[in-house]
Amino acid sequence: MRELELYYGPQHLGMVGNFSLTLQVEGDKILKASANPGYLHRGFEKLMEKRSWIKNFPMVCRINVIEPDSMEMIYSMGVEKLAGIEVPERAHFIRSIFLELARVGSHLFGLWAYANMLGFDTVAQWAMYHRDLVLDLFEELTGGRVYHIYIWPGGVRRDFPEGFKDKIVKTLHTIGGCVPDYDSTFFNNRLFYERACNVGKVSRAEAMEMGGVGQVIRATGMAYDIRKVEPYAAYDRVPWNVPTRKEGDAFSRIWIVRDEMIESVHMIFKLLDEMPEGNVYNRIPNPFKWRIPEGEAYVRCESSRGELGLYMVSDGGKEPYRAHFRTPSYSHGLTVLEKALEGANISDVGNIMMSLYVVAPEIDR
Amino acid sequence: MGKLSLLGPFSAIKFLFRKPKTLRFPFEQKETAARYRGFHLNDWDKCTGCGNCADICPNEAIIMEVHPEIKAVPENGEKNERPKLDYGRCCFCGLCVDICPPGSLSLSRDYLHIHFDPDTFVFTPRDDNADDKAFVPDEQYSILKASLSHRKRDYEGFSSDMDFALFNPDRVEMPEIPPDERKMSFIEQVTGYNQEEAVKEAQRCLECRLCEEACPAHLKISDYIKAIYDGEPAESLRIIYEDNPIPSICGRICMKHCEDACSLRLRGEALSIRWLKRYAADTIKDFKETLEQNPGSYTGKKVAVVGAGPGGLSLAYFLKLMGHDVVVFDELSGGGGIVRVGPPRYRLPEESIDKDVDYIASLGVDFRFNTRIGRDVEFEKLMSEYDAVYIGIGNTVSRSTRVENSEKCLLALDYLEQNKTDRKNIVTEKIIVIGGGNVAMDVARESLRLQNIQHTGKNTVVSMVSLEDWDELPATQEEIDEARDEGIVFNPAWGPKKVILDDFGKVKGLLCMKVKSVFDEEGKFSPTFYEGREMVIEGTMIVEAIGQGPDYSFIPKSLMEKIEFTVRRKLKVDENGMTTLPGVFAGGDIVNINMDAVTAIADAKIASEGINSWMSR
Amino acid sequence: MLKQELETTFDNITIRMEKKNQLELSITKDGIMSVLSFLKNKGYDHLHVISCVDWIDDKQLELVYILSAYMKQDVPGETEQLNILLKTRIGRDDPKYITSIALFPAAEPYEREIHEMFGVDFLGHPRLTPLLLERDYDIPPFRKDFDTKQYVDDVFGSVPSVEGEDKN
Repeated sequence: MRELELYYGPQHLGMVGNFSLTLQVEGDKILKASANPGYLHRGFEKLMEKRSWIKNFPMVCRINVIEPDSMEMIYSMGVEKLAGIEVPERAHFIRSIFLELARVGSHLFGLWAYANMLGFDTVAQWAMYHRDLVLDLFEELTGGRVYHIYIWPGGVRRDFPEGFKDKIVKTLHTIGGCVPDYDSTFFNNRLFYERACNVGKVSRAEAMEMGGVGQVIRATGMAYDIRKVEPYAAYDRVPWNVPTRKEGDAFSRIWIVRDEMIESVHMIFKLLDEMPEGNVYNRIPNPFKWRIPEGEAYVRCESSRGELGLYMVSDGGKEPYRAHFRTPSYSHGLTVLEKALEGANISDVGNIMMSLYVVAPEIDR
Repeated sequence: MGKLSLLGPFSAIKFLFRKPKTLRFPFEQKETAARYRGFHLNDWDKCTGCGNCADICPNEAIIMEVHPEIKAVPENGEKNERPKLDYGRCCFCGLCVDICPPGSLSLSRDYLHIHFDPDTFVFTPRDDNADDKAFVPDEQYSILKASLSHRKRDYEGFSSDMDFALFNPDRVEMPEIPPDERKMSFIEQVTGYNQEEAVKEAQRCLECRLCEEACPAHLKISDYIKAIYDGEPAESLRIIYEDNPIPSICGRICMKHCEDACSLRLRGEALSIRWLKRYAADTIKDFKETLEQNPGSYTGKKVAVVGAGPGGLSLAYFLKLMGHDVVVFDELSGGGGIVRVGPPRYRLPEESIDKDVDYIASLGVDFRFNTRIGRDVEFEKLMSEYDAVYIGIGNTVSRSTRVENSEKCLLALDYLEQNKTDRKNIVTEKIIVIGGGNVAMDVARESLRLQNIQHTGKNTVVSMVSLEDWDELPATQEEIDEARDEGIVFNPAWGPKKVILDDFGKVKGLLCMKVKSVFDEEGKFSPTFYEGREMVIEGTMIVEAIGQGPDYSFIPKSLMEKIEFTVRRKLKVDENGMTTLPGVFAGGDIVNINMDAVTAIADAKIASEGINSWMSR
Repeated sequence: MLKQELETTFDNITIRMEKKNQLELSITKDGIMSVLSFLKNKGYDHLHVISCVDWIDDKQLELVYILSAYMKQDVPGETEQLNILLKTRIGRDDPKYITSIALFPAAEPYEREIHEMFGVDFLGHPRLTPLLLERDYDIPPFRKDFDTKQYVDDVFGSVPSVEGEDKN
């Protein structure tokens, strides 16, 4: 059969965000895939070198639209490690609760994207609605719905408002109450199983070789989660589990997303119970004069898509000398995706890409 | 994982019969959260125009725009600028709210702006209460008109919270000797910042430069503080010397108008600008080596300066750098003038004065101490032998209350001056000080120390009597607090009526009347008293410290007639500092209403330019 | 323990551990591959990122390989999760280096990006084609001497000021 080159994206119904693939196809079968990121390259890392430490804080969140909070967290962690800033205990708890809420919100968005792409519009609509409920919580806490600009070096930007704990519990119960509906309509749906099972299989060895993290590696049975491996914030203060599966295919990755949401909700309840009183912010130095001693730091945290890292260098100046984000989608979207698409069917491209949870803005930065 | 099913998904059909969750915008609206970060609000009454919001904006969305209709008050740190936003750039991060020192900026819960004209996205936020056209009550609000000029009233969202402010409201405390210890001797009360403390304090500066406009001499405060923060006190001192050549003195006794304008004071403590100047001056041991200054190339012109006070010293410095020959005359044995006599040792030790004077002398300024014009040198001689003369004599004669028997009292400046010599005043166990100004405080606190030295362990008392009540006392609050901490007894709102003598004609006490008011309706000094409310304060020694005046006796009558005065009995000078006598310049307390060292330095700077152009005319 | 082994195995290696969980190794240019494979064999099998820093004042580019173990249980004797920062410096003019894809396939896009952003040529890399950018640049854009603002002004015209400022 004749070999063709197929351009897939950057605008395509089967993918979220601007990202394109060049596929070598023979009939329906993909022989070779090559990823072309860059449509959302905004040069954040270069911009950061020109902005003072505090001015970077409202900017870093914009690297990832879907889950900006882990970006804020990683930047704060980097600055805190470089400058040796301590964070109050209550702020650690608030950060964890906030990040878990963000994880739920992000996973719901991911579920929307995945379900929408497969054609399960009902579930997609539910997920989007429930994500909105989480955004309402963020609005209440931080004043912003999408970009929260909330976790900053030294702690968090405001304490919980009055009655906020109860609101979290109420919202999470509302969402949690719909899990049976989600299950019967989507996760236990035979059609979903048929579409996703054995699709985009990534073995553990392959995943490790290509820098797979997050759901990609957890779907191969390895409980690799930075929250456990290198605990930060308040993740080592309460017991919780890392959901894993063995198959390594799209189906198992999406199931892990589901299980993680449930685990996160349980974790939030535990964190809320354990949360101490106290202040939530240790004042950072005057932003106009703030310099951070020479040095370099590598920090990492677990975003909703997997391990997120930041390598940051200070030359003792008012701005970062260099910042480099190691985003999970970078290896998933470039290396793992190219590998997983080999031999796959054209109709599964979006399926595989979304199940790998590739978020294009995060690749391009 | 449950059982896979093909029919299970049909359970979703039940949702068909449920109420929709979608909001039918614009017929249904959702209230934004209480902390929502929407459009800006700015309370113009609170806003000082410092521009910190514009400096911190990560998107450069804020510029400061001048509004001529607002009155700028530099001495209170108020500019007539207000922030203007470009909503095409704003990212609603709210950093401007968290940095705002007065807390005037906040974000509202409004976020809708619909307009055909893109220029309307550039917007100067104002307070909502002032403008009832743009900010309408809930019932009049229509979403169809929603824009920056049609918003909800009382709809404040994300607002300033001191716990999360980006600036530090608390100053680094100046190490001080506690009151019980310091009142026993003349040891300097404050010990000065060490390097760590100075850097920490300097770090608080927001670089808004409001202070520089408030300072009479317009020192480049922001720059020299930044130099201290950078760990370069030498550079800091160089910047200070551009405008103020007596930093060791000013670093101790400056009236710090700058700190009254500091934007940090609005919701916290002002930056310790004076103490940081003192740090720079004290850290550098050798001014000559550090500053590397040389007098300007010699011009052949000679200037006589009468009085080696802050003004005279500064003038001599500025003129010397221009290359003129300067001779400074003073009747005291050292430089400093009133700051040598007035401020007590615990506030300003002579070594600090001499450090500044010696540096100016090292540049080649000729100081002639113990020389009184009119007695040792005739004033006309100065006028004939020098190209220009500067009068910076200050107020040197203490006024008396002139109540009955007041000739038995001591006068403040005489008393203070004697304390600076080896033959300090012999004090009694009960002292009364009349007056409520800073000189009266100096007298009282020195008396307390002398009592503790001369009558150690005895029950001594220093009482102060002032016409003004607590809230009107002319002394600085700092002085009042410190005096009270040391145990000085205040009797505010009492006026002296008569000094009571015993049979031997010695002072026994002071008869006082209760004051009704100090000033009349026009604000003029005209005290009134309650009839019949009198009290006697016991005391065997009374010092009067109710004010000082200048002594022009050295100027011959013929010349004196040519000198003009203002209505407030100050010397009249033109914009170059020249009096109505050609070639005679003046400055300092005899010219200014605001009588302090830094104003005298500002005068000297102006006069140095004036003299320079006068001589080269 | 790892520290001692590294010191005995390699010459010219400087080891610093100033921050928690963070081991900084510096080695001369030709030592990187052997250290990488040594570490990989030790169980540090997760290459997080390859980064590059432009030390323009030293006229050098610094390549930073950050790696750790997926699971610390995989590394015998390891008690804490260690992030290893392996650094080397190469000349800034016409920088060349060798690819590490054979050891870590994950390195492929990182090297490609460094080639694009810093102009480092990785010998043996199968496709050093542009990754993120669409235009050609005289200076690789992430180098310190690339002036973003100047470039924007040149290519897109000047950045408009806040309206109203011009009107005066």
